[in-house]
Amino acid sequence: MSTGDIVIAGYSETPVVFRSGRSAYDFAGEALAALIESTGIDKDIVDGMSVTVPLSEASNPFFAVYMADALGISPTWLNYGGIGGCSATGGVARAMSAIRDGYCEVALVLSADAPSTSWRANYGAFRGEFQDPVGVQGPPAMFGLLMNRYAYQYDLKEEALAKIATVQREHALLNDNALEKFKKPMTKEDYLSSRVVADPLRMLDSVMFCDGANAFLVMTQARANQLGLKKTVRPAAYAELTNVNGNQSCPDITETGFARIAPKVFAKAGLKPSDISMFQPYDDFTIAVLMQFEDFGFCKRGEGSDFILANDISYQGNIPLNTGGGQISAGQPGLASGGLNLAEAVRQLFGEGGKRQVRAPKNALVTGIGVIPYGRNWGTSAAMILEA
Amino acid sequence: MNADAKPRTPPKPNVYVNTAPFWEAAQQRRLVIQYCRDAGKFQHYPRPVSIFTGRRNLEWREVSGRGVIYAHTVIRILGPGLEGRLPLPAATVELDEGVRFIANIVETDPARIAIGARVAVAWDPITDDFVYPAFKVVEG
Repeated sequence: MSTGDIVIAGYSETPVVFRSGRSAYDFAGEALAALIESTGIDKDIVDGMSVTVPLSEASNPFFAVYMADALGISPTWLNYGGIGGCSATGGVARAMSAIRDGYCEVALVLSADAPSTSWRANYGAFRGEFQDPVGVQGPPAMFGLLMNRYAYQYDLKEEALAKIATVQREHALLNDNALEKFKKPMTKEDYLSSRVVADPLRMLDSVMFCDGANAFLVMTQARANQLGLKKTVRPAAYAELTNVNGNQSCPDITETGFARIAPKVFAKAGLKPSDISMFQPYDDFTIAVLMQFEDFGFCKRGEGSDFILANDISYQGNIPLNTGGGQISAGQPGLASGGLNLAEAVRQLFGEGGKRQVRAPKNALVTGIGVIPYGRNWGTSAAMILEA
Repeated sequence: MNADAKPRTPPKPNVYVNTAPFWEAAQQRRLVIQYCRDAGKFQHYPRPVSIFTGRRNLEWREVSGRGVIYAHTVIRILGPGLEGRLPLPAATVELDEGVRFIANIVETDPARIAIGARVAVAWDPITDDFVYPAFKVVEG
């Protein structure tokens, strides 16, 4: 790693809590205090900030500025990220650009949300006329439609989805930050008997909105050395795509943005799927995880079910999956969600995985998903490869 | 419909773009869709520009209201306005004119709801004097 490289030199994550009664500000404060504690940095060296738009404070267009004020930080570069579950990795990528352009030296990438306590988002636009009256109001119905179409075009085995859910639950049992409610084992039978919420989507395919926060420190390796920060990881590649096939009226909805950006991140990092030490994909629903195995070339399109059933996706396996339990079993901290998968990747690469530590990982592939639009695949796809 | 059903509210037109022509035609049980004159293609939901060209050379064109089910689901969890409507069949319908529509499937035996099934527009009376576009499965 050259000293000019830009790295993540610290991270923190609060426990995920359901209906905490606390605000995004309070969770952000907890994350910042933990980050200062673990890195020993002086808060006042933070001169850049990327803040994720949270559902719980979305009615305030100045939330990022309010957050800077709440935390006593005076950034010379401030980004307010509105790409949902891509805002954390996207925030790191944008912070890297800002550092390269000299707008700041030490950036705090902060995501905090508390939608299970307070929901203040209103998507507006066409929804009141064309979507909400139909009852297709949230991600479950849209993912029900996506799963139904996927199962029509390809082979979808419920045992494969059950394996994703149960393995991630085993990982969550080893994660102190995971939602308390999910800290009980789940069997394949539990999954298969789980209530259907939007056919064929089950409750246990899905995330639950919770509260929580995470934070990352981005700077050059040289600055990290100067600050005595010994553990760093290097984002080797990042790519994102919003509104895949956005100029078509009838796109294949099983075609995700990941299929487009996967070749870019692998080429930039000089890696191939078999080189990946762990996969920390955005997991709002199990089908999204399955489709990402295909889109990133771990297997061919339509072979996701067989791939999952044939491989060991546990933290000790050949392709460890969402080693902290993912959002499905650790809980989804609102739109701070993308930072949950990212924090787990950084934690593992720092060798701080504890009971679920992946053996000698060289790298991690982390992804984000943002927004479920009208009759299309998901809105934003983002991917980052981190190297130890 | 059961006893929990609450009166549904007609959507407010013209909130984000001018959609009044869509809703006015709907009340006459005619389905009109935004059409890009330059690209010669339809788009839905209504947009401020053509998604094909970025220009505003758009018009409303009546369509057949016929197509096929592209994907379908049954909504079984409550959301705003869904009281008394569950389980609620919904589908992505692909119209013969090459455009997709998210809609409820009404007046149809659930066993006949399948990808590729032929559908025709149906008009769901959500109040005494307002119909909302839905689809029903029809013979090929």
